[in-house]
Amino acid sequence: MTMDNGQWTMDNEMQRQQGTSVRLDSVGKDWDPKILVFACQYCTYAGADLAGLSRLQYPTTTRVIRVPCSGRTNPQFVIRAFQKGFDGVLVAGCHPGDCHFSTGNYFTRRRYLLMTRLMEFVGMDPRRFRVCWISGSEGPKFQQVVTELTDAIRPLGPNHKLRDTELSSLVGGIGR
Amino acid sequence: MNENVIQVSGKSEISQIMREIARDLLQQKTVSLVIGWEKGILPNKSAPAFITQSHDTDKLVFDEYCYHNLTKYLLQRKGSGLKTAIFVKGCDSRSLVGLVQDNQVPREDICIIGISCPGLMEERNTVIPAKKCETCYTSIPVEYDFLIDCPDTKTGDDEPGGSFAHRELSKVENMTLDQRDTYWQTMFQGCIRCYACRNVCPVCSCKECCFDLTSPDWVGKGNNTSDNSFYHLVRAMHVAGRCVSCGECERVCPINLPVMLLNSKLSLSIEELFDEPPASMNLDDTATLSQFKPEDPEEFM
Repeated sequence: MTMDNGQWTMDNEMQRQQGTSVRLDSVGKDWDPKILVFACQYCTYAGADLAGLSRLQYPTTTRVIRVPCSGRTNPQFVIRAFQKGFDGVLVAGCHPGDCHFSTGNYFTRRRYLLMTRLMEFVGMDPRRFRVCWISGSEGPKFQQVVTELTDAIRPLGPNHKLRDTELSSLVGGIGR
Repeated sequence: MNENVIQVSGKSEISQIMREIARDLLQQKTVSLVIGWEKGILPNKSAPAFITQSHDTDKLVFDEYCYHNLTKYLLQRKGSGLKTAIFVKGCDSRSLVGLVQDNQVPREDICIIGISCPGLMEERNTVIPAKKCETCYTSIPVEYDFLIDCPDTKTGDDEPGGSFAHRELSKVENMTLDQRDTYWQTMFQGCIRCYACRNVCPVCSCKECCFDLTSPDWVGKGNNTSDNSFYHLVRAMHVAGRCVSCGECERVCPINLPVMLLNSKLSLSIEELFDEPPASMNLDDTATLSQFKPEDPEEFM
């Protein structure tokens, strides 16, 4: 390894990348899928917060990105997440009727009803991508949904579909 | 709209009537430009024609090779305040309605001359009907100021939610998830990202396109399967609910990718899910993804 002084080098990046591709094909039994959650600031983010405050255990491989409204979650974000190596994506927001902006999640619903069908049409396993309404008081539901998603993806193994594995784009993608 | 319907007895007469209407409009200075078709330099290919002088109107033709959807040229006149006359087939008229709905083109600046379309022939094999005509159910324009009404009008065997598109889609839908993935990866691998499908698309009217931007860098500019997939999936989502199934994206693709499959999938899903008429059938419609109903299907509880 040429990880001198923590500096990024091309060799280092290539080794890291090769290491990743080896890991991709052979995962141990303790492998946990990486899950990205897009959480609406007013409901799901508060729900996730409540789950934490209540000491509810949920998979540590979950990462939460706060968005101002589930309607902010552009379908591009989801595809991007799969490209960059997440094994599952959850888009979560307020229940219909509860949106802070009155109507944002109704648009989300229409958009993702189509998006789920499109993803399935191009061969993405529907278990890897989920949309769910989780309110600010539903900490246990957040825990449950994330756990279910993780359990559903674990037998599927790491995601290869749409995955960006080429070195050129990784180098170009540093810092993005 | 009935006062301006001109009956013709056959498709051979359409060109003659086109020239007469265009000449009148230019002579009366109602419009400053007429956009139509002229004989191309290649056989079996008619080219777009831009006519500003009334004595040039004899160049105009309409034959079975007038594939081009001319409506996108109107974007270049945007903001000029100049009046334009444009010839549209049935499918083109829907994309023009789409542009008006999106506030890209002011309706009052456009004189729409519709042609009841007798159907087109395939570009590369001139004895079979063009593929886009197979899915056609609007051979008569949905919006027009003048209509050249031809009795030989031909539609495909399709209707909204129609059978041709279903047959095409079922080829993919009968595959397993992994087969679908392999199929699409093979397709997207071949994509050379020339963006012809975007450039020709009459509903892709953004001045600034997310695929061109380098900051934010939405999509990698390298040509690899992952970024190609991103491009096609995102483009399908961007035109979802506004795609008028004109089939231009598939026609211009230099490597014949089945781009329309993605759009058809979304169009048919929209019909199944939201109980809405096909996109851009009349000026008062709103695009599917720009509106909602509280009683939309609920799958995310």
